Amino acid sequence: MTAETAIRCEDLVKNFDTTRAVDNLSLEVSPGQIFGLLGPNGSGKTTTIRIVLGIFVPDDGSLLVLGHQDPLSVRDQLGYLPEERGLYPRMRIDEQLAFLGTIRGLSFREAKRRAGDWLENLGLAEKAKSQTLELSKGMQQKVQFAAAVIHEPDLVVLDEPFSGLDPVNTRLLKDLILEQKARGATVVLSTHRMDQVEQMCESICLIHQGQAVLTGKLDEIRASYGKSTVRLDYDGDASALAGLEGVREVRDSGRSASLLMDPTTDAQMVLRQLLDRVTVRGFSLEEPSVEDIFLDKVGYDPRHEVES
Amino acid sequence: MNLNKVTQVARREFIARVRSKAFIFTTLLVPGLFVVWGSISGLLQRTDIDELRLAVVDYETGIGANLTERLEAIEALPITIEESVEVAPAEQEAVRQRMSDAIREGDLDGYLVLRPDSEILARAQYFARETGNPVIIGRLERAVSAAVLENWFTGEELTRVRRVQGADLETITVSEEGEEAGGFWVAYISTFVLGMLIYMMTLMHGQQMALAIVEEKSSRLIELIIGAVTAVEFMAGKILGVLGAGLTQLAVWIGMGLVAVLYVLPALAMADGLMDLNLAEAFSLGTLSYFVVFFLLGYLMYVTLFAAIGATCNSTEELQHAMFPGMLPILIGFFSTFYVMTNPNAFASKVLSFIPLFTPFAMFARVNVAEPPLWEVWLGILLLLLGVMVSVYAAAKVFRVSILMHGKRPAISDIWRMVKTA
Repeated sequence: MTAETAIRCEDLVKNFDTTRAVDNLSLEVSPGQIFGLLGPNGSGKTTTIRIVLGIFVPDDGSLLVLGHQDPLSVRDQLGYLPEERGLYPRMRIDEQLAFLGTIRGLSFREAKRRAGDWLENLGLAEKAKSQTLELSKGMQQKVQFAAAVIHEPDLVVLDEPFSGLDPVNTRLLKDLILEQKARGATVVLSTHRMDQVEQMCESICLIHQGQAVLTGKLDEIRASYGKSTVRLDYDGDASALAGLEGVREVRDSGRSASLLMDPTTDAQMVLRQLLDRVTVRGFSLEEPSVEDIFLDKVGYDPRHEVES
Repeated sequence: MNLNKVTQVARREFIARVRSKAFIFTTLLVPGLFVVWGSISGLLQRTDIDELRLAVVDYETGIGANLTERLEAIEALPITIEESVEVAPAEQEAVRQRMSDAIREGDLDGYLVLRPDSEILARAQYFARETGNPVIIGRLERAVSAAVLENWFTGEELTRVRRVQGADLETITVSEEGEEAGGFWVAYISTFVLGMLIYMMTLMHGQQMALAIVEEKSSRLIELIIGAVTAVEFMAGKILGVLGAGLTQLAVWIGMGLVAVLYVLPALAMADGLMDLNLAEAFSLGTLSYFVVFFLLGYLMYVTLFAAIGATCNSTEELQHAMFPGMLPILIGFFSTFYVMTNPNAFASKVLSFIPLFTPFAMFARVNVAEPPLWEVWLGILLLLLGVMVSVYAAAKVFRVSILMHGKRPAISDIWRMVKTA
């Protein structure tokens, strides 16, 4: 890849009727990395992805995808796994895979060959002649992933690739994504699975209400928060965690909790308070997890349903 | 436009369609229905003839005697010639009246009038109580043609011979109320059968097209496709694929029809004289070429319109409501052919045949049962071609804008705006 950046968006704006889905959004994705796109539902993630893929035209702002202003001029270099999966229900999956390859520029013969290879790799060779309907959800998901990368695109955009997968298939898909990175492709991963982001992404962009509220290298972002989060394992009454001095937010998980401290708070002071209230099984001072950062930036709102 | 991608979309569409159960089912079932319909009506019409009492009235054409001989020689029909007269101009009308009265009184089943004709020697009219039996009409028609040929053809005027062979027997139904033109022409069969084909295929494939697009839209496949190919490439590919499937189906039907005409019908005809229904004449080369032109253009126009309709809908439920405006002109067009066939040169028929939405039906019926001026036919084809171009253009725009839209279905005014601006 020759371009300096895989994606560069500056002040993107996209309106739908009266709502502004994307609001002056800027982000930059370096080539060859796995980039995490985070944000609650309705934050404008999918719209941003569609703009980057040339499915939507932005109302304002500038866009550079693989060095081109019009993503459609490099459409055969783009791969896409949409959030709402789509495969022809009554079509043989080998033919389906080949078809989706040919419309991304592969010759029919080459697409057919690669479709066969992919199904072999995914352990679906004996299902090649089956229709989509006859496949399990996990199998369909794997086919859909293959369809996104069969033409070996330079930029792969995966929207919620792990949703609905069991642990075995999650592991398999993770390996496949890493293979894409090893091949030299840039991968944009849009997901709510914070643990996946933590494990895989080098950089992230957090989108909230159409804006990029946080963007940069994951390590740097976490470091900038400092060791201001207490990871607590405890037994006792959760209500006892309320009103701790020097703690601005408590995220309770029942037997463990994250305590976000004010920057000036001394952790020892928090521990002393805790010992009086609950049975402390573990206490450690850490950088915030992506989930903590996510919730910190977006703000926890129970009315807002967050997919996981 | 990336032609390779158009081809790939078309190929997928074609394969998906040809393999579908609906396609295989209709491809096999429709000819079956025609055969069943044909043999039932054939059987019904043949069984009630035990005797056919005819008279021949020759207005001094000189072929009356020959025709009489030929009619009596027809083995398939139990014809009895009650009377064969040659009458001078002065008493022609009186003799004809007497014959018609004989029919009304039940002494006669029908009579043939031979009128002199400057071009082909004689033209025949068949007056009868019943003129709806294709077997009888076909038989009489061929007897007249043969008689005319034998008396008049000298070997020098080869070109005219074909016209005699193609001449239709004019039929007049005689009843208590009077006499009126009507009954059965061979051209009716081909107009009806081929018009029916245009009707069925545009309606069926148009609906399937709209349905397929709604499915792609609701399954969000469209997002994947539209990122890879342009809306116009996608639509073009789909239409070509559907067209290919349609032509395949047509080819199968024509193949089956040919086998039927060449092998099956002659075998049947040996037994029961069904061959009197002159199929080669009904489906002549001229008729078939007009059919191909009107079928292709009409099919293309309607399938495109249905593609646009499909693109504006989000669900199959919505589609069912939206589909009606697309089906209406097809229904009107097809059912108007019954009027057009009997009144091919009426003002309303002419108007219908120049409105592109109805041209494939109305103009096809007109050229088939009558001989409208050539310029009218070409004008009709030209307007239809224009209609196809307009619908492709408009559909491409509506398609491009609404294919990714979800939520409220666009109103007519919105669609108009898409066509104007997009």
